Amino acid sequence: MTTRELLIQNSRQFGTLIGLLVVTLVFTILSPYFLTVSNLLNIAEQTSINAIIAVGMTFVIIAAGIDLSVGSIVALSGVVLAGMLHGGQPAPIALLIGLSVGALCGLTNGLFISYGRLPAFIATLGMMSVARGAALFYTDGRPISGFSTEFRFLATGEVASIPAPVIIMGIIYVIAHFILHRTKLGRYTYAIGGNEEAATLSGINTKLVKTAIYALCGLLSALAAAILTARLNSAQPIAGMMYELDAIAAVVIGGTSLMGGEGKISGTLIGAFIMGILRNGLNLLGLSSFTQQIVIGSVIILAVLVDMTLRKDRKLTLGKGIFS
Amino acid sequence: MNSRALLILLLTSAFCLQQCKRADEGGKPTIAFVMKTLNNPFFIDMQEGAQSAAKRLGVELVIQAAEREVDVEKQMQIVENLIQRKVSAICITPSGSKEIVPAILKANQSKIPVLVIDTRVDQKALGEAGASTVAFIGSDNKEGGRIAGEFIAAQLGGKGNVAILEGIPGHETGDARLSGFHEAIQKFKGIRVAASQTANWERDQGYNVFQNILQAHPEIQAVFACNDMMALGAIEAISTSQKKGKIIVVGFDAIKDSRAAILNGQMHASIAQHPEEMGRLAVEYAYAATKGQAIPAEIPVGIELITREKLLNK
Repeated sequence: MTTRELLIQNSRQFGTLIGLLVVTLVFTILSPYFLTVSNLLNIAEQTSINAIIAVGMTFVIIAAGIDLSVGSIVALSGVVLAGMLHGGQPAPIALLIGLSVGALCGLTNGLFISYGRLPAFIATLGMMSVARGAALFYTDGRPISGFSTEFRFLATGEVASIPAPVIIMGIIYVIAHFILHRTKLGRYTYAIGGNEEAATLSGINTKLVKTAIYALCGLLSALAAAILTARLNSAQPIAGMMYELDAIAAVVIGGTSLMGGEGKISGTLIGAFIMGILRNGLNLLGLSSFTQQIVIGSVIILAVLVDMTLRKDRKLTLGKGIFS
Repeated sequence: MNSRALLILLLTSAFCLQQCKRADEGGKPTIAFVMKTLNNPFFIDMQEGAQSAAKRLGVELVIQAAEREVDVEKQMQIVENLIQRKVSAICITPSGSKEIVPAILKANQSKIPVLVIDTRVDQKALGEAGASTVAFIGSDNKEGGRIAGEFIAAQLGGKGNVAILEGIPGHETGDARLSGFHEAIQKFKGIRVAASQTANWERDQGYNVFQNILQAHPEIQAVFACNDMMALGAIEAISTSQKKGKIIVVGFDAIKDSRAAILNGQMHASIAQHPEEMGRLAVEYAYAATKGQAIPAEIPVGIELITREKLLNK
């Protein structure tokens, strides 16, 4: 990596962090309720579900892919998990089954993309519909509600007054950071996103790696589903709609390029927090949901605009990225 | 100016502004109103009723809704954020009768009274969680469904094939309307439900689903839609089919668009609730609750059958 490249990458990370500080400062000025310990924990808890899904999405996007099915996987693994709990399975077993359902959906995505040579956009678009339909079919369209306190600890539990979802999010980010920056799988992910052909020629089993990445994305969606189910004390087959867009937004705001090959897991965490803070802050100010949508949309565009500007001297390869 | 000076200036002004804000917030209670959605005329009417009551009482009203009606998790986030904002009372139309319970529990823990509007909270789930609400303000949806069923039965002369467009499964309002409707038509042996499907409360889905139902069941003579948005969708589907003018359409809510449709004969009846009244009562009783006054646990809001004759006589 040349000094110049190092500078570019760091300035992008820096840019995301500045964004986080700016929104924090703005809301601190505008609302006396914003910068309090309880509200910050509240924001962290609210951000956790999107942030966990966004980890899987970061891997997928760095590998120049896309996963549109995460929201539907949240619904399907959530209702299966809930069904198992209601069927009398102990919480750990039910959780394991729920996570397996998510991983299996992701694995299917990966197999179709790698070995079936389907574009990621198409394979996951199909899975988005199949998993949603399966969730509705499994439940007859009705939510499954009411679980044990033991299971609900995933959402309502606290360790040293830090909510359980926040702790789970923290653990996932540490692990993901390690995988992405310290293991072969991580390096291969960047290599595939940078230039898949070159990665294959250099001896990387790109098909296997891509399959693993999509399976991971499914697994993390299922983990988010478990937290969501515990949080609402209910699993809905219509849960998770548009979660894919929230996750993609967090990744993109965090400075990961949709063209693949670049990005950092810490950026995604900041991206997810920027979105969480925006929603929370706009609520505190009493702005309507309509305004919130405008603001969040604008932030996404601004983030990508900054991203492109910082990369303007680099040649962009068209035809690569999410549609390949 | 160097950057450090700028930062200090910003932080100081932030602090000052906060203090100013705190100073002028004395006395006036803030009432929060969490809607299911703000892109359905029913809830817009409710919002208007709430706003005029708030103006009259001189309370600050914060109205919030999730981006999408089905998103119960975002509704929970909104409630959590309002708790952080330390509002004096929360009025809520739950997006999920059971799913809202954890949010209500959080409000209880912060000692903020919760009033439930229009859609009931599941009492069993509420009890199990140890949560409580101050009051329910809304109409008897089951009775409304019954009235709709009796109207359709009378129009068909006690025999015929009907279709139903259901709301989102698990929504208490839709389920109550549906069960009332079934109860009414069961009394008529000649009436058969040929198709019953959900169109998720939405107009475009009402259009598509009813178009499909018409393809599969050309024998249908009447349709009951659990809300007007779906009924309006069904009307569009009928108007592009061979069945134009031959199917009795009954909706629920009697919103402005459907009143117009009833007047021009495309729709036959709708059950009127009074969302403005609900909004008004919600704010009034929430205000009373913040003053520590006792308020009734059940506050019924009347319903009525709206037909062409009724509209012409008004």
